[in-house]
Amino acid sequence: MIWLNPAAWIGLIALAGPIVIHILVQRRAERLPFPSLRFLRRTRLASIRRHVLDDVLLLALRAAIVALAVTAFAGPLIVTARQRQAWNARVVQAIVVVDGAQPARQPSAFLSQTFEAPSLSDGIPRAVAWLDASPPARHELVIVGLLALGSVTADDLSAVPPAIGIRFERSGSLPRERSVAGGRVLGWQRDAVALTAQTVALNDASTRVREAGATEPAGFPIDIVCSTDARPIVDAAIAATLSQRVWAPAANRRGRLVLVEPSLDPSAIADVGPIVQPWEADGVASMVRDRELQTTGSQVPGGLRDTRFTLAPWRLLLSAPDGRPLAVAAASKTGLVVVTGAEPLSSVTPQLLRAMINALGGPPELRAAEVLPIPDAQLRAWSRPSSPVEAPRVDRVERDDRRGLWVLGLALLALETWVRRSRAAGAEAPHEEDVRVA
Amino acid sequence: MTGPAPQHTLPGPEVLAQIADLELVARIVVEGLVSGLHRSPFHGYSAEFSQYRHYRPGDDLKYVDWKLVARTDRVYTKQFRETTNMAATIVLDTSASMSFPKKVSKCRYAVIVAAALAHIIAGQGDAVGLAAGDRVIPARAGRHNLRALLAALGGVEASGGWEAAATVRRAAERLNRRGLLLVLSDFYDDEDATFNELRRAARMGHEVVLFQVMSREEVEFPYRRDLEFSDLETGRSIAVNAGLARRDYTDAVTAFLERCRRRAGAEGFQYSLIVTDTFPGRGLRNFLLARRR
Repeated sequence: MIWLNPAAWIGLIALAGPIVIHILVQRRAERLPFPSLRFLRRTRLASIRRHVLDDVLLLALRAAIVALAVTAFAGPLIVTARQRQAWNARVVQAIVVVDGAQPARQPSAFLSQTFEAPSLSDGIPRAVAWLDASPPARHELVIVGLLALGSVTADDLSAVPPAIGIRFERSGSLPRERSVAGGRVLGWQRDAVALTAQTVALNDASTRVREAGATEPAGFPIDIVCSTDARPIVDAAIAATLSQRVWAPAANRRGRLVLVEPSLDPSAIADVGPIVQPWEADGVASMVRDRELQTTGSQVPGGLRDTRFTLAPWRLLLSAPDGRPLAVAAASKTGLVVVTGAEPLSSVTPQLLRAMINALGGPPELRAAEVLPIPDAQLRAWSRPSSPVEAPRVDRVERDDRRGLWVLGLALLALETWVRRSRAAGAEAPHEEDVRVA
Repeated sequence: MTGPAPQHTLPGPEVLAQIADLELVARIVVEGLVSGLHRSPFHGYSAEFSQYRHYRPGDDLKYVDWKLVARTDRVYTKQFRETTNMAATIVLDTSASMSFPKKVSKCRYAVIVAAALAHIIAGQGDAVGLAAGDRVIPARAGRHNLRALLAALGGVEASGGWEAAATVRRAAERLNRRGLLLVLSDFYDDEDATFNELRRAARMGHEVVLFQVMSREEVEFPYRRDLEFSDLETGRSIAVNAGLARRDYTDAVTAFLERCRRRAGAEGFQYSLIVTDTFPGRGLRNFLLARRR
């Protein structure tokens, strides 16, 4: 026997209820209005002597009712080998369909449900929740789709509990070649910033990138706050950064690099606040992970002297050798704000500019355009059989053994009512009989 | 060939208590009562011939019986008894103790008996009045007065206390001439003072009739288990085991009833004990038969 809800045993504390009531409640004699008390003398009450013995049966009945109710809530389930075998023989399938694929029929499944989703990260949690609420059986997650490279990741599958089996089903075939917009890049042409669109053609295992359309002038997405003397140096750093071509950020993403001590120009950081936009947080994280930037920064002296940069909302990007922050980041209404204490002439400046541009934008997402399938070996590695049924949950079992307990409890309740009423009637009966005879 | 006389089943007190029309209730009680009572039990004053006596100078000639003069050659004058109707006042106990038991309270039962008495008295042309709590109907003859009295009786409810002695005194003083004082009560209230007032009423020339109204439960105390008895008038309560207290109680009640009966007899009052689970006419009939003798 297993208990589907063993926590309910704590309800046995309720057994104390009837006992305490029987002990503590003072039994009072029934009140009877009477014309005159002049002929009555106070006597010893019989109930004081008798009620403990009288109530033993009622107390036992009431305690038994409470115990039965608690037992029923605890959810007794007699799991026989045959029952377990029956559960393990059936399969409940949650089918997650991505890429608009058509799932194959699953005639063998005891119960199945199809979840159509734009991506696995959306479909898998819904499927797992449904499996969790399904009756005891072997649980299986079937992922149906084109299964192109990048469409399934280990992170997606880590959300599936180990007891749930995973199976992949390839549906349809990927095209041999696909051309998609490949994003835009910023470059440096004729002493100015230039914007160029790209097209990416994926053909089997080869990738071709070509420029699409003419190059057009553009603005630099990072505002620079520096002294007039440092401006030529900063422009040179911008040219050096763009000469390698970088991914252009979206139009609504901008940055601000402050290269002076803010005490000299308080307006440069007057509007900063905590980072709340996901792209800003991702950008800060990418800058912290940038090894080249971190290595360069660790060799440059001149950390920020102002101690407020060690506090919120500022987040540390680089540390100077003396331990002080060399570069910190925060957010403003216009975008990401980075303040550095490094000299403009130092090698940190172009590194920061490159890291900031990469933080503002990034390579285009080409996973949806992939024409290569996930290798079968990888799919087999991710696949696993479903585990046998262990302890089913109380609310998932179609039929448990509580019903009999409830019936027995109701029968005891009826018996308790009958005993109570018959006693009350027994106490009244002699009175009425006497009156009739008289 | 005549068959057996039809059996008339008299309605019980519970049935009578359910009937709101007191006049109808009174009729039912009296009809069940008067079969076999052909002569009025009440002897009041009436305008009736008393005797002849020899004429004496100064007698009013209109009372001379001229026919007798013609037959006997002797002059006689007719003499009459002073003519006046009987006046009766029904005194009803309205104390809270009369509200017991719930099924048919002593008060309701007493109201039915009082209505029946009023119906009988008014039916033979005598005056009847009522003193029940704050409801006072002067003793007058006639159907109009009877209806007013029955209406007053219909509104009587037992609650609070009852100044027995004062009520008896007022009722006795309201009877202008010698009359009949009918008292319906359980006589729990101030026993000595009540009997003193009744004695005073008797000395005023009134005839006093006592109906002690008791319930079966009060007389026999048919309880067994633990009960908390609360006094209907004082609210005081006492918890007793009724089985254990029964013997002492019944002894005390019997002694009380016997004392009431004995005191009434000693004062020359007519006394009747009526129990509320009997047909109201039964107790009344016994009383009227005793009165005939």
